[in-house]
Amino acid sequence: MLLVDGVHKSFGNVRAVQGISFDLKPGQVAGLLGPNGAGKTTTIRMITGFYLPDQGRVLIGGCDTVDNPKAAHARLGYLPESTPLYPEMRVTDYLHFRGKLFGMDRRTRVAAIEHVIARCWLKDVRKRRISKLSKGFKQRVGMAAALLHNPPVLVLDEPSNGLDPTQIRETRQLVRELASDRTMLMSSHILPEVEKICDRVIIVANGKVRADGSPQQLIRDSGDQGTYLAQAKGGRAGDDDRFIRIMTNVPYVHAVRRTNPDRPGELADWSHWAISSKKGAPDLREAVAHAAMQNGIMLRELRTDAQTLERVFLRLIEETEQPAAPATEPVATVAEDKPRATGSAA
Amino acid sequence: MKGAGAIASRELGAYFRQPAGWIIIALYLFLTGLVFAFYVLGPGEPASLRSFFAVSGWLLLPVVPAVSMRLVSDELRSGTMENLLTSPVTGPAIVLGKFWGAAMFLLAMLLPTLVYVVILFRVSAPAPDIGPLVSGYLCLSLLALLYLAIGTLATTLTSNATLAFMITLFAILGFMFMETAYSNSPAVIRPFLFALVIRTRVDDFAKGVIDSGHVVFFLSTTAWFLLLSVASVELRRWR
Repeated sequence: MLLVDGVHKSFGNVRAVQGISFDLKPGQVAGLLGPNGAGKTTTIRMITGFYLPDQGRVLIGGCDTVDNPKAAHARLGYLPESTPLYPEMRVTDYLHFRGKLFGMDRRTRVAAIEHVIARCWLKDVRKRRISKLSKGFKQRVGMAAALLHNPPVLVLDEPSNGLDPTQIRETRQLVRELASDRTMLMSSHILPEVEKICDRVIIVANGKVRADGSPQQLIRDSGDQGTYLAQAKGGRAGDDDRFIRIMTNVPYVHAVRRTNPDRPGELADWSHWAISSKKGAPDLREAVAHAAMQNGIMLRELRTDAQTLERVFLRLIEETEQPAAPATEPVATVAEDKPRATGSAA
Repeated sequence: MKGAGAIASRELGAYFRQPAGWIIIALYLFLTGLVFAFYVLGPGEPASLRSFFAVSGWLLLPVVPAVSMRLVSDELRSGTMENLLTSPVTGPAIVLGKFWGAAMFLLAMLLPTLVYVVILFRVSAPAPDIGPLVSGYLCLSLLALLYLAIGTLATTLTSNATLAFMITLFAILGFMFMETAYSNSPAVIRPFLFALVIRTRVDDFAKGVIDSGHVVFFLSTTAWFLLLSVASVELRRWR
């Protein structure tokens, strides 16, 4: 239903997207994740035809966005990142305008507007000027406009961006409803949201696809089977390095990372740690506690922390960018052949 | 050209939904009304709207850039251009829709000045010559369309409406001073520059002469600026 085939896009010397490919089947709901500047919005803009790819092609319902843009656009509903609207227009006037752009006759338009107004919970504000609406309602108007021509493919760029928690919850509920009967691609920074809504996740970084699969598959294949959170007695110079050295020697430990939110250079009485395990590792709590006890390290907490998509995402991005570890958050990784968290859910 | 009509009617509505549109019309009618009252209706003055047309031509200089400056710039600034370019409407439909929306607004601004014609016919004896009146309005409309096309191009180049206003203003001034450039230019390019001189064409219209060559000049130059505007909009996809 939506095919992105090896698209490239450069802006001057900046190679924003470098050969991104994926194929969404009918009814599939995919999340496009990545840090800022990863190429998400550029990819989405190539899908919607706002940018033309330097290389590669995008097919929406079999229609090429370059060779047959009108047919491709007619099959696509799009909500851009900042939900741009005309503030001086009333909600229904704006929806009529959008309907006319899509060539809908008056009768079809009126019926479609009634449908999307009901579906996006806009009944109470239908006659109001857009400038008078809250950000959450504006988001719904943008969503209603994207749905108006009943497109089989829906692309949402950061639908929760800038909303307060209540509005985020409402938007999430709406997106979940919309996802039930169409192919959807959604970019978001809110990973729990993606985990709940999407049956496929595509992680991009530096303009390339880094992982592609269902959330469960990505978590399973990440190689980081479990993370243990520990609090250890600290407060002396060298405590952190010693803790890392001892824990990285524990079998099956993949990485040890301090998570205290301290200021740089400050030594906390109790340091907080995240100890991640390798793929196929058994429960490491006993081994970690034993290593601490043998080396005279006092632990006041040691518990398992369930693996989440957010952690998989952060780890993938860390691996891609390889940042220098900050002074307050030392990280140590045990050398190994890391498995790629890449698979296909298609 | 699907969608151009919808864009034009939204554009026209936008002028009247905001105070700026009403203020522009009010200022224009106030100033032309003063000219009509003091210069046209003066005792012993000839029964003609020549001074009204002359002042109106100058008033178009700030009015048209003010009308055109937000046409595409605002869409670029607010991001609504993304909505337009990702809907099944073409670049030419977007530009033409915007242009006609603004042109209809300028027409709505000129329309009330027909009252001056009615008053002139009521108070003048003998009745005024109809030829210069028709050619005067035609000239004013063609000038407005040309300036508007220049403004449309300027507004596709930047998301800053003030900058678009300045570019339009200076481009129109450039056209107006083409006569000076023509008289001081090398003989090789003189014919080309002379063809771009507006004042001689306006003078003919003022005399009541409707030269088809002048009409074609205004319409074709307008079309060229609109074509450039379409190219500028389409280039945004390739940037």
